[in-house]
Amino acid sequence: MKSFVSYFLVLVLSFSLALGDSNSSTDKLPKEFRLNGTATQDAFGSSKNKALHSTVRLTRNDKLIAMGAIISPEGHILTKASSCVGAREATLSGGEKFKLRVKKRNEALDLALYQMISDRNDFKPVNWNDSNASKDVSWILSAYTELREIRIGITSGKHREIGREGGVMGVMLGTESKLGIHITEVIPHAAADKAGVQIGDVIQKIDGRSVKKRDQVVSIVGKKDPGDVVMMQAMRNENEKNFRITLGHRSVTFDLFNRNMQMSGPVSKRKDNFPLILQHDLPLPKEAMGGPVFDLNGDCIGINIARVDRVTCYTLPSKIVFPVVKDFLSL
Amino acid sequence: MRLCIISLIISLVTAHADIVSTKSWHKQAPQGIEDLVAIQERLRSLLPQTKAALVSIEAIDGAGSGVIVSEDGLVLTAAHVIGTTGKKMFVRLPDGKRAPAVSLGGSEISDAGMLQITKKKKWPFVQMAASNSAEVGDWCFGLGHPGGFDKKRGIVVRIGKVIANKDETMQTDSRLLGGDSGGPLFDFEGRLIAIHSRVSQLPDQNFHVPIDCFHANWDFFKNQDLITYEKMQAGGFLGVECEYKETGLVVRGVIPDSAAEQAGVQINDILVSINNEQIDSREEFIILISSMTPSALAKIKLVRNGAELSIKVNLGSRPDPK
Repeated sequence: MKSFVSYFLVLVLSFSLALGDSNSSTDKLPKEFRLNGTATQDAFGSSKNKALHSTVRLTRNDKLIAMGAIISPEGHILTKASSCVGAREATLSGGEKFKLRVKKRNEALDLALYQMISDRNDFKPVNWNDSNASKDVSWILSAYTELREIRIGITSGKHREIGREGGVMGVMLGTESKLGIHITEVIPHAAADKAGVQIGDVIQKIDGRSVKKRDQVVSIVGKKDPGDVVMMQAMRNENEKNFRITLGHRSVTFDLFNRNMQMSGPVSKRKDNFPLILQHDLPLPKEAMGGPVFDLNGDCIGINIARVDRVTCYTLPSKIVFPVVKDFLSL
Repeated sequence: MRLCIISLIISLVTAHADIVSTKSWHKQAPQGIEDLVAIQERLRSLLPQTKAALVSIEAIDGAGSGVIVSEDGLVLTAAHVIGTTGKKMFVRLPDGKRAPAVSLGGSEISDAGMLQITKKKKWPFVQMAASNSAEVGDWCFGLGHPGGFDKKRGIVVRIGKVIANKDETMQTDSRLLGGDSGGPLFDFEGRLIAIHSRVSQLPDQNFHVPIDCFHANWDFFKNQDLITYEKMQAGGFLGVECEYKETGLVVRGVIPDSAAEQAGVQINDILVSINNEQIDSREEFIILISSMTPSALAKIKLVRNGAELSIKVNLGSRPDPK
């Protein structure tokens, strides 16, 4: 059956090759007139320019790590905390580059404050607005990674809280016996694998507490967040082994098994535990998170806080972000 | 003087007509914020009635989306969502309520599928566009349940443009994800123009089944006939490569040593009918031929250089895909 599908594709291919010189039927919409084509982008006029002028690229050795929003004339930058780890320089749309100073973090909202090291006080900060962010199905835009183009989309889906997912070890728990709980699967490159856990190891203690049932393990680990450490004591061939496991993100750990994720490309590690989000469909890579989102007037309605999948990004709305900005800048 | 007034009125009317005829969503590209706002308002105005007819489809082995197209609960979806005919499934309406349904027919060629809600009720439904109404460059919007039904999130709307539209496939930049499969794609008149089918990795690679495929094979699909690749393999084979155009189904290539070559079918012949069944799409042609046995004798009507010919062909077997 599979081979037939490919045959079918071959047939289609030879068929379109045969059409090579007849033009009308093979027409595709030129890129410039597509949803994210340059002709459509140009319609956004001054809001496009505002987006390009108030967004920065955060890099290390010229490698893009995250994007950020300029929030003061003195060059303060707001970005996604868990994405921008290791960022050293900020680049503006005009190409000027500045070294960065880390100022503050808000772990709960996954936001971080940086400042560009410079004497200038003429940086162009975003203009915050949340008055029209509440209406479903509105045009929005963000600067694209090179700060030359924008990406266009609409908000859609209810504004809502995204619950906490908790940290995971990346193992499958099998039978329970007097010895403990048998590990039947270790997900490659996930937390437990990195710590040296192997299939067949039998879990006896987690964080010093004896465990006999799968639920006990799930309960202890589930209370912790990604990045937290658990200590695991296990038996391997009658030898006691101790592992120090730094927990991973549920979404990233199990993505290998999710066909949707294979079609989506890399997503943000942290995409959970936000008090309120706006959902949209801007086609942005995960390195574009941390950047600002604008409405048709060129006002900032929030910060891109997570790339979730092929069709979904979350934005932390300005209503949530602005109090943090005020708090950050009052220092 | 009177003449003058009349001519003024006429020119006013034509001026007015000009304004009406260039709606923002008919322009090749929006010219500014005003056009963008008009497109946004138009989209918003089309959502209540289109969303009401969206269903999430739940089977034992997976979930997809679909859309109701008749008051008695006929649902269009993707063939890979229904899988087989006569299968019991559930549809879930936007309010979360479930209703029983049974799968009808479809085609693995285009990925068109149909199912029927079996609970008697006056169901909300959408209008289908006529065949050949969607054009490359048209604005469109898709609805669906990407990743499955999620009441906290609700229905997701994605806007885009028709990038290509040919035979059994429409391509758009209105993006899709698993769970959207079978969901509806609408034009800016609120008419159903396609059903979500599949994606490749790039953002612009979203593929849909044009509504034309349903129109051309309506009775076949409704009668619980499902054309699968397996069935096609076992069925008859003519041996032509064709393309459907306004003039009809045009032969673009004749496969050497095939039944078509032996019967003298030529490039640029237009295939009109098979056994007196009029051909309305490339897919219908494949279905008609594949529904016969390899040893069947098919009566084919075709047009060559403007003249109609009738030929009889002993069909052959489809070559082994390996």
